[in-house]
Amino acid sequence: MATIPTIADAAKQIAAKQLSPVELTEACLARTHAHNDTLHAFLLLTEERALAEARAAEARMMSGMLKGRLDGIPIGHKDIYNTAGLRTTAHSKLLEHNVPTEDSKVVQLWAEAGSVMMGKLATHEFAMGGPSFDLPWPPARNPWNPEHFTAGSSSGTGAAVAAGMVLGGTGSDTGGSIRGPAALCGLAGIKPTYGLCSRAGVLPLSYTLDHTGPLAWTSEDCALLLQAMAGHDPNDPASANRPTPDFTALLGKDVKGLRIGVARTFFDSDNRVNDTTRAGINAALDQFTAMGAEVRDVDLSPMADYHACGFLILVAEAYALHEPWLKSRFNDYGESFRDRIALGAFIRSADYIAAIRKRRALCLELKAAMADLDILVSAAAVSEPPKITEVPKWATLDKPSFTMPFNVTGYPAMSICTGFGVGGLPLSMQLIAKPFAEPVLFQAAHAYETATDWRSKRPALVS
Amino acid sequence: MPSKISRAEFDMLVAQSGLPLNEAQKQEIHQAYGLLEGMIARVNMPMPREAEPALIFVPEVR
Repeated sequence: MATIPTIADAAKQIAAKQLSPVELTEACLARTHAHNDTLHAFLLLTEERALAEARAAEARMMSGMLKGRLDGIPIGHKDIYNTAGLRTTAHSKLLEHNVPTEDSKVVQLWAEAGSVMMGKLATHEFAMGGPSFDLPWPPARNPWNPEHFTAGSSSGTGAAVAAGMVLGGTGSDTGGSIRGPAALCGLAGIKPTYGLCSRAGVLPLSYTLDHTGPLAWTSEDCALLLQAMAGHDPNDPASANRPTPDFTALLGKDVKGLRIGVARTFFDSDNRVNDTTRAGINAALDQFTAMGAEVRDVDLSPMADYHACGFLILVAEAYALHEPWLKSRFNDYGESFRDRIALGAFIRSADYIAAIRKRRALCLELKAAMADLDILVSAAAVSEPPKITEVPKWATLDKPSFTMPFNVTGYPAMSICTGFGVGGLPLSMQLIAKPFAEPVLFQAAHAYETATDWRSKRPALVS
Repeated sequence: MPSKISRAEFDMLVAQSGLPLNEAQKQEIHQAYGLLEGMIARVNMPMPREAEPALIFVPEVR
């Protein structure tokens, strides 16, 4: 199998009995065997299980009993998603031998949809500390150039999807951990609206900022994956109890008349992106205009306000979760995680409360700004991926994050690829929609992806 | 951004926290604490007393 199909294409071929789920899985396994020693995307490869699940999917295909569009599709799970009987480590020495007895809700839902589980994927330690070179496993590497960073924390999922080891995978996003790897690995990745997808059985980092969501090659594939993971779960106290829409409903609908705002100060001055990233975003905005969308700039508070609010909440909540181990096993954590989270010990309760009061003010501001908009555009990353050895430990403190504003406000946001810059490395932008308006987000992202040629190029490693 | 509190004051905070930081860790985290102070200042803008936080308790209805 020479080319790596999208989930949508593979599903069509499987439904037409033109593609064998076993052969599809074997092709993903072959790429994994060829490149995992370089990319370190998988912490645990479950080859026998994957082949058994692929054979079961193939039997369903042959008997006309397919479960849906994920049936027979090879996927992987970030190693903070509990998997019954399979090691779930958070990429940390502290959970090196942790074997859960139950699947997380999302793992369960994707299994019920017939997906083929290939294994557990690398993460920054506890979805926060990375890239780290002092953990039991090395950090994932970027398939576009293994000397470069994947971003994190869903680093293994980003690497595995870009390299075609899986066609899609789970991530989690507390401050940008889905959208960052999607941006730097040249993928689509969505952080859905807070409450849309269950977090039950996923190791928490920050209760009020954590989101689960998918990464895949295209926005259409993200819609298919999200369809199988969204919905009310009474075991997640933040789960929204509302009907799940058809996330593919607006795919293919043109964007004429779509109202697009641009948070230009975020990436022009608050955290100035490099020239190639800005050119990519501006070209995308021109493309949307050419397709009939109405584009205008929007004023928001400085991105540093959103970032400060989110970072303080994140670190305070993560510290509260990890305090017992930080006191008793401090040096069993990697340096990156433990030093960052240690800051949470020094946040006063009054300052935490100030942050969540500020959070409400920022939610109201964004709501007002988007009242007459369908989509907001911002950057997803400041540049192409940097070298993995040149990522500063305190980068998350030093410059405001493009992704954090939408964890703070809970708005759905996704990264998509806007081309390739210096060294052939991926460029990206971020699209944001109103709460629970994921179908509009997919409409805009899909329209852009199909109007451009970026989805036809894979990393040279697997081309 | 250097911290507004002295290293000695920071060491007191560390001692109160119970975190087993060594000398090098204290020094580095003290420097990073200066960046955290800047964030704390950003969220502590004047707000009216009735400005509730984003999170409120929602009683479960059975």
